[in-house]
Amino acid sequence: MAMFTRRKFVKAAGACTALGALASINACTASTPKQASGGGKGRVIVIGGGYGGAIAAKYIKLADADIDVTLIEKDKKYVSCPLSNEVLGGDRNIDSLTFGYDTLKNKRGINVVQDEIVAIDPDKHSVKGKSGKQYDYDKLVVSPGVDFRYDKIDGYDAQAAEKIPHAWKAGPQTVTLRKQLEAMKDGGVCYIAAPPNPFRCPPGPYERAAQIAHYFKMHKPKSKVIILDAKDKFSKQGLFMQGYKKFYGDMVEWVSGAGGGIIEAVDANSRTLVGEVEEYKGDVVNLIPPQKAGKIAQIAGLADDSGWCPVNQKTFESKLHKDVYVIGDACIAGKMPKSGYAANSQGKVCAAAIVAALNGQEPGEPSYVNTCYSIISPEWGISVAAVYQLVDGKIVGVKGAGGLSPMDATAATRAIEAKFARSWFKNVAADMFT
Amino acid sequence: MKNRKARLLALTAAVIFSGSLVAEGVRTPSMLANTCAGCHGTLGASAGDLMPIIGGMEKEFLQMILLEYKTGERDSTIMGRIAKGYSDAELKAIAAFMADQEWVSSPVKTDSKMVAIGQKIHDKQCKTCHEDNGRVQEDEAPRLAGQWPEYTMYYLEWCHSKGKRCQPRKMGKRVMKLSKEELKAMAEFYASEK
Repeated sequence: MAMFTRRKFVKAAGACTALGALASINACTASTPKQASGGGKGRVIVIGGGYGGAIAAKYIKLADADIDVTLIEKDKKYVSCPLSNEVLGGDRNIDSLTFGYDTLKNKRGINVVQDEIVAIDPDKHSVKGKSGKQYDYDKLVVSPGVDFRYDKIDGYDAQAAEKIPHAWKAGPQTVTLRKQLEAMKDGGVCYIAAPPNPFRCPPGPYERAAQIAHYFKMHKPKSKVIILDAKDKFSKQGLFMQGYKKFYGDMVEWVSGAGGGIIEAVDANSRTLVGEVEEYKGDVVNLIPPQKAGKIAQIAGLADDSGWCPVNQKTFESKLHKDVYVIGDACIAGKMPKSGYAANSQGKVCAAAIVAALNGQEPGEPSYVNTCYSIISPEWGISVAAVYQLVDGKIVGVKGAGGLSPMDATAATRAIEAKFARSWFKNVAADMFT
Repeated sequence: MKNRKARLLALTAAVIFSGSLVAEGVRTPSMLANTCAGCHGTLGASAGDLMPIIGGMEKEFLQMILLEYKTGERDSTIMGRIAKGYSDAELKAIAAFMADQEWVSSPVKTDSKMVAIGQKIHDKQCKTCHEDNGRVQEDEAPRLAGQWPEYTMYYLEWCHSKGKRCQPRKMGKRVMKLSKEELKAMAEFYASEK
């Protein structure tokens, strides 16, 4: 942390005043030397205001109010992916998944800036926004979520995804997919192409199949949902198959990778998926492409050949760039899945490590948790949970803890788990945005 | 009830004596307890509906419950799976951390008719243990005033189904005689007491 000379300080302060008229106060604060920012212990910038980033920003402030925290998010509002399958099922409105940043700004003292970061300079400790503004940091947290490997599927790109939406980032595409399901005739077929590992939300495609079947069962009972999978097994498989059979009979079908489920190409206009052996023409097609760490992580050289970001699993500091931390779906976090709860938990571990570093202390011993609910039918929920610890530098599950909902649980227990899923969402959202 | 407390004391002693066995990396109470917030809200101030508020609940009560989840003595859908991931000393640290937080009552609006029915039942058979309309926390009586009614109802229904096997026994015996409507009234009453 370099000391600012008086001259440098005056210059920076002057620039701030001059910019003040044009730029927002927040951006100005962010690019002001820490001595003048009311912080004093250092400046942290967090890129991405979702399950990981919003938590990291908030928990740094909770632990040490003297650290200056700026959260930079490209969108004005955040739409939660978890629970968005209920929008497809028709039991939830997308507004109930949409959150703003006012409380983080007003109650938590976080500078919230709307900008898209397009470059990171790890040597100079600064990031650049699409707006042209530059923001300086002592510690940078990158929580960009996932980006899509459209190149792995011939004929698929961002434009084609408007027609046959992946809806794997909740928002307009979720609504498009719901409208397509509503417009579909009874007796139609909806294909869901599930991606290869690793990807965001391992049980997500299978919960989605159940939610779409739930809608079909009530409104279009002659229709089918067919999952074309790139894999030969999937998360909570036994529980999902049990739930499909119980509620939807043969309305839901799963085709494994070995059974012809791997999709290589698509024709968006005719809604045709091209597999290794067969072609599948659907009435509604939901093609979820293979994934990699979010765009800014790729641009900034935070990802390795796998497409994901290697980090020190004790602190989440990048192994490739000092003072840059990567959390959430984008990072490689040992045995933790790419889930919302995992990102939340990583955000807190990362926040504690940064607070320790800015106070001249060693990082503490970490503790992580993941809990993930899936709603198969409105009153039938299942879950998986795990408690993690660091062993030899790797995140591993604590033996004897965690695991799945039992296969033989009563209907009452399943009903409670579905309710817990919705209550979980209320709390995890409050943890992020209030 | 005496048995439960004796067991807790024994566990406490075991934790103290096994203190030297704790692995080198001791995890701080906040590091441990912040992992709960994803379901129970920041600092245990639950945002609803079925997740109980745990921030500001009495330490010994929370400790006892967490240890019972871990051993399986207490039924759960998921808490047993999670509690097994921590040492007894860590569960105690989590309980102490949560107990130190401010209790934030649920902002839920309640039905005055139901509240009145609940108050009557409370006055008749609950208030000796759950003093000051469920605000006082002692002798293993958790705070009830201001708790989310969905959670209180969930707990009461569970206790009702267990009957005399619901701990403490004197509570099970009372709860098992109440109708579903009466249980609902109880939950509404406690939620109305902020």
